[in-house]
Amino acid sequence: MSDKMYQPTNLLNKWVQENNELVNKCKFAFASSFQQQEGGGDTLSRDQNQTPLRSYSSEFHKLLRKIQGVPPLVNHTHLELSVVYNACVCSTAQSQFTEAELLLIQAIQRALQMTGDEPVASNRTVFWRTVLKSVGNTTFNTCVRYLLCLQWAIWLATCQLTIIQELKEELSSLFETLCGGVGDDKKNEARGKSSDIPLLVTDPRGLVELLQICTSIIQGAERLSEGQSSEALSALQTASSLPAPRALLAYVHFLSGSCLAHMSRPQMALQCYRKALVTDACCVSALYQSMLIYRQLGNTQAEIQALRLLQSTLMLPSVTVPALATTHLLSPSLLLCSQSLSSLLSVPSALSVLHSLALKCVLHGRVSEGVEHYLDLLAALHSEDQHGVHAEAPALPRLPELYLEAGAALLMARRPADCMALCNEVISTTLELLPEKVVLEDPEETSEAETRDMSVDGEDRVGMLLWTGAAYLLQGHCHTHLKDWKQAVTHYTRCINLLVRVRFKKKGFQPQITSGDMVVKQGTHLCILQRLKGLSLAGRGISFTQTDQLKEALRDLLLSLQASPECVGAGLWCGEVLWRLGRRQEAAACWEKTWSFTTQHHSAEGLPVYLQEPQSGPLLDSTELRHRIQELGPN
Amino acid sequence: MEGRCAVETWTEFGFSGTPYTPKIKFGLGTNVFLCTGSDEVFVFSTQERKLRAVLQFPGPVSDLVECHDKQLLYVSCRSGVYCISFPFLLSRVQSSPADASSSPAELKISSDFLVVGEEGALSLLLVSSVLLILSQRDTSWLLSLYKTPEQTQSSSYEMLGSFRLPQVLADLNSDTEGQTGTRRRPVLVCVHPGHPKSPSSSSTSSSEMTITDSHFCLEPVLFKLLFGIDAALARSPVILCGLPDGRLCFLPLRLPGSQLRVLRSLEQPVVFVGASVVMETGPGLARCLVAVGEQGRVVLMKTDKGEPEGGGDMAGFIEGCVPGPVVCSFVDEHHLYYSTGSDLLVLDLSEGSSWREGKERDGETSRKTAAAFQSPTSLNVCRVIALAAPALNTTGDVQLLGLTIRGQLQRIILPAGREDAGSSNLPSTQVGRSVRDLLSAIGDVCERASVLKTAIKSKNQILRHLNHVLNISFLLLANKNSEEHLPMQEKQIRCYAETRWSRLLQKDSLNLTCVLDNSSPYVLEQGWTLSITVFPLSYSSSAEGESSSTNFSFPFHNLNPGETLEVSLPLSAAGDTSFPMRVSCSLIFSLSSLLGEEETAHLPSLQSSCISLPLNTLTVDWLHTLQVNSPTMHPISRNATSQSSNITTDTVQAFLNSHRSRCAGRGEGGGEGASKAEREQCSASVRVSSELLRDTLVLKSSDLDPRGPKSTPQNLCSSLLDWLLYESPEGVKMGHQGDRFVLSSSVVHARGPTGDTVKLTAKEVNVGEESLRAIEVQIESSSIAAVCGLHHAVLRRIQTLLQIAPERAASTMRVQSLGLRQALQRA
Repeated sequence: MSDKMYQPTNLLNKWVQENNELVNKCKFAFASSFQQQEGGGDTLSRDQNQTPLRSYSSEFHKLLRKIQGVPPLVNHTHLELSVVYNACVCSTAQSQFTEAELLLIQAIQRALQMTGDEPVASNRTVFWRTVLKSVGNTTFNTCVRYLLCLQWAIWLATCQLTIIQELKEELSSLFETLCGGVGDDKKNEARGKSSDIPLLVTDPRGLVELLQICTSIIQGAERLSEGQSSEALSALQTASSLPAPRALLAYVHFLSGSCLAHMSRPQMALQCYRKALVTDACCVSALYQSMLIYRQLGNTQAEIQALRLLQSTLMLPSVTVPALATTHLLSPSLLLCSQSLSSLLSVPSALSVLHSLALKCVLHGRVSEGVEHYLDLLAALHSEDQHGVHAEAPALPRLPELYLEAGAALLMARRPADCMALCNEVISTTLELLPEKVVLEDPEETSEAETRDMSVDGEDRVGMLLWTGAAYLLQGHCHTHLKDWKQAVTHYTRCINLLVRVRFKKKGFQPQITSGDMVVKQGTHLCILQRLKGLSLAGRGISFTQTDQLKEALRDLLLSLQASPECVGAGLWCGEVLWRLGRRQEAAACWEKTWSFTTQHHSAEGLPVYLQEPQSGPLLDSTELRHRIQELGPN
Repeated sequence: MEGRCAVETWTEFGFSGTPYTPKIKFGLGTNVFLCTGSDEVFVFSTQERKLRAVLQFPGPVSDLVECHDKQLLYVSCRSGVYCISFPFLLSRVQSSPADASSSPAELKISSDFLVVGEEGALSLLLVSSVLLILSQRDTSWLLSLYKTPEQTQSSSYEMLGSFRLPQVLADLNSDTEGQTGTRRRPVLVCVHPGHPKSPSSSSTSSSEMTITDSHFCLEPVLFKLLFGIDAALARSPVILCGLPDGRLCFLPLRLPGSQLRVLRSLEQPVVFVGASVVMETGPGLARCLVAVGEQGRVVLMKTDKGEPEGGGDMAGFIEGCVPGPVVCSFVDEHHLYYSTGSDLLVLDLSEGSSWREGKERDGETSRKTAAAFQSPTSLNVCRVIALAAPALNTTGDVQLLGLTIRGQLQRIILPAGREDAGSSNLPSTQVGRSVRDLLSAIGDVCERASVLKTAIKSKNQILRHLNHVLNISFLLLANKNSEEHLPMQEKQIRCYAETRWSRLLQKDSLNLTCVLDNSSPYVLEQGWTLSITVFPLSYSSSAEGESSSTNFSFPFHNLNPGETLEVSLPLSAAGDTSFPMRVSCSLIFSLSSLLGEEETAHLPSLQSSCISLPLNTLTVDWLHTLQVNSPTMHPISRNATSQSSNITTDTVQAFLNSHRSRCAGRGEGGGEGASKAEREQCSASVRVSSELLRDTLVLKSSDLDPRGPKSTPQNLCSSLLDWLLYESPEGVKMGHQGDRFVLSSSVVHARGPTGDTVKLTAKEVNVGEESLRAIEVQIESSSIAAVCGLHHAVLRRIQTLLQIAPERAASTMRVQSLGLRQALQRA
């Protein structure tokens, strides 16, 4: 008889011991791998974690099967539910959510069989309400609460926010009881040392705190994406006082900032982003969003500053997923998997940030700095370590354009030799593939689509031709800069020869060579083509003026003005040539017209950097020209 | 006559049926690495011509790749990728016992060598310091990039990123898996842009990566055309990936924002991707990319010179199909070698490369292309399942390394004079070829011949089988067409049945024993199945009836002419009254059994297709289900030992039933039901002309019964009952436990399937004024169901009797049956 009584308790002790050993091993392994994680990249160590985690998970499941092999006994329940908790934590950490949820529900139903009533499991909300009610004040009340925590985690990880919303009250009371009952917990822990209490792999109190903040973050993100910014903001503000890891608090501040930005309060949004950055210096999304706000506000200096910071932060080794000081197997990244949150948090790749930075610098007068950034960018693209693994938008421009932009920047920084080398690279790559003749259709929708999608065979031939032309143009500019007029003429001529290969075809008309009197949309191939034509003819015309071939110069300059009337250099030099040819009245008219153009509009705004008018060629002084007109005037 | 190949077998491993396709790789000095798809990797030294080491991995090895600079070997296994340092390997081999000349060193690779714990890695590729792993996840292909550490082996492999490509055409994949049982490894190769203009940079890059069978340098124009300007500008190597779903994808490795994109789809598993047609001028620049599919589709990708009008070069895709399945393939400078498993063939690509150059793309050239693809040259080497080229090519002949399906590692030296093929006189060099080469070639031919022989034999077997099946089908279909004219006994293949009560676990159940009788001259061979469907007749029209039908299938092996097959099936349990039941028998032949399992798996649509031939239909009615009591005893007082308990329970049951109904009656109908002391008996009767019976029954039974003709009314009555109960006019007869009772009296007591006692009485009566003598069969029972069922059964029997009665008798006979309702009213 005594033997019989002894047997089950013995078994119970054995199982408790087995559980506790497993928990200790698991905790130890996790702690050591966490230390590793702090050193290296996050993704890898997460991957490596999976293997031991899997073995622990299977161990817990094995133990659970042993325990559940015996019919439910009241004094086993505590142990059984604890082991269920441990097994479920391991499953959830491996993203096996459905398995974990099933295990959890079945375990609770089994436990409730002892109390007599069996809740219907059709509706999760109803199920949990009945469970919490029927458990009431029984001995395994706390265990069931712990399991509810896990269920919460599973709902959060699978983005089932409606259930969480429905059970809002129950969950908040759970949060309060678990976090409020500090003394009770301490007592439990103290008793836990005596090795007859089954241990748990993660502390449920810490888990519930994490869940609370993660739920707030996800709900905030969802509301924000649904456009309910003010509701989201108030919820987030209450969440900002919760106890939580720094990185998560930074998320809360960041989301508040995004809400404010949506409510068009940019200054307050900037404040929030700053708070986020103060809380967690690695919150790159806050930096990125502040940069966007500065851009919106037109504060170029601040924008460049933010871009520079963002770029240097992104270059840090492990910044994408900040090291979250967590004692949990369940990491916040597992729980924060909402689509809207990740789209809010997304940040362009370091290279594309570097490109924006370089372009901004060049466009806003910091040429030498911009050149350095361009060179960094090109070096990064050619380094062995570069791997095209970042695919977020906004992507980089096509590489030839990047080369041309960098070339233009180099020329601006008075480094024509480097510029020519870059252009040579572009030309050598594309030259063999250029078509002999190409027709550009009027509605450019088709070619537009082709430009975006780099198809394998139908690589955009016109685009390629324009790149090559632009490369020749830049080389011409370089020679102009070096005052090598003969070479300049050669290169401008090459550009022009390429450009005349393009025939323009209006609907219902024969293909024709393009002329200046056509209405041209910005950013299209046609627009670029006209601009290139204007610039190259102007460049050649100016070169001819330097070698005193005035007739040729006048022809080219007039043609240039026809192709692209807004070309200032061409206009002024055309006047100059006319003046030199003695046609002074015409010259004066030409100058006046050009000046009126420049005051009217700046059509060069939307064009790439390499299609801007060169600043380095021979220049004419406008005041001197006005003098001449004044002198001419009385005549 | 073609020049023969010299085949030299280096070593032999025993292996069979592995989960992955095998692979041979020449590398790290003069070693050959073999992974056969099993857990082992073999290291074979070509210098010593012996197996140096066997590496034992914890799971099936899917792929291996070597790193020349660091002398490392990466091996992918089920649990991840292992990295083994080759010097370490050699030291282990040398430290093992010195008499290693006899047996190779065996090394167990533990998880200490695991460097990347990625599960399900299928293919590996090493591009400078990046290790690429292609694995299959649930619904997508995953290409992961890992940075290999610079110096030490211990430091970790940092994951750089991964690319996903959703899977399509899962069927294509599973099809091949089903056929061979092995998973086809996706092909992973790397294409480098060739840069003839900058020799300095190309020399540095080529020192890093040597051109092996998974790295090629492509001519710059073709590279730009295929993979885009950006990849060319960035000088990014491009990963080409041939998937088992037929897609050929590419990924510029060093281009920001690049994605896995589909270059071309072969619509069949990609077996091989390579580059060929080396320019004479440029150093090692390939002008043509070649992709080969499993069913023989070959795609050549090369530069097409544009027309003078349109200008610009275009990427040209030439598609063709070589005959036969392609097990493995290899490309050298001008030739595509491929093995169909039964032969090694070679296709001249240099011919193909000129097909389009400078010519009009008209029908003629394309036809020529197709013709060239259709006529590869046989090399007479069979059973090669993996090919590789040895790195050293000292003599200048073309040498290939082959692995045969038996696990032989072979060096195949192609005849040197093959370039000027077609010339009938052999070059003098070839005449002097050693006898050994000829012998080995003859051995190969022998092996091939035996393979073909078995194939032909099995084909003949299948044809013979199919012939039998068709004969039987025609026989049965002819039967069906003339069913009305042929009485059942004359059918050559038919079914008959017998009902039998049996008792199991205190429960009575009615079993039906069906006998398939093959009296045709044909053998029913393997693949036939006897299918029996049982369904109650009374419900057959309603929807409910469909659900209540039961189907039984009995596959059998061989049924020779004159043999019978007896099968038994449960018809109903006691108490079930869903009689009469229809039993319809048919023969089913499954087409999949014609072919072996392998061929069937290859054609999934065949698995479900079969020929179904109806045989005949039997009816089991109430009369068949009766359990006749011994005529000498009263049913209640009888105490046959085997059935005593049965009887008592039955009587108790009957008592209870009657009691219950009486109570119910009392409750509902007031005193009326209670006034009747005894339970009412229902009855029904059927009258048949005695003359008819005499004509038919006596005629029939005269040859059966030795006691001579029975003409007395008494005899007629008993013989009618006898006929009703025991004869089998439609192929079903009632089985009997023990002896068959000789019915001497004209009263039969029996129990129905529900357990009610039933009394059948036959007596002679006069009908009407004409004093026509008739026999009246009266059915009496306390159960209405029993009376109705039996009445129906008797009527049906007599109807069939009328059908077989002679014309004369039929014209004069008269049958009167009293309606059931009348009978009941009278009761």
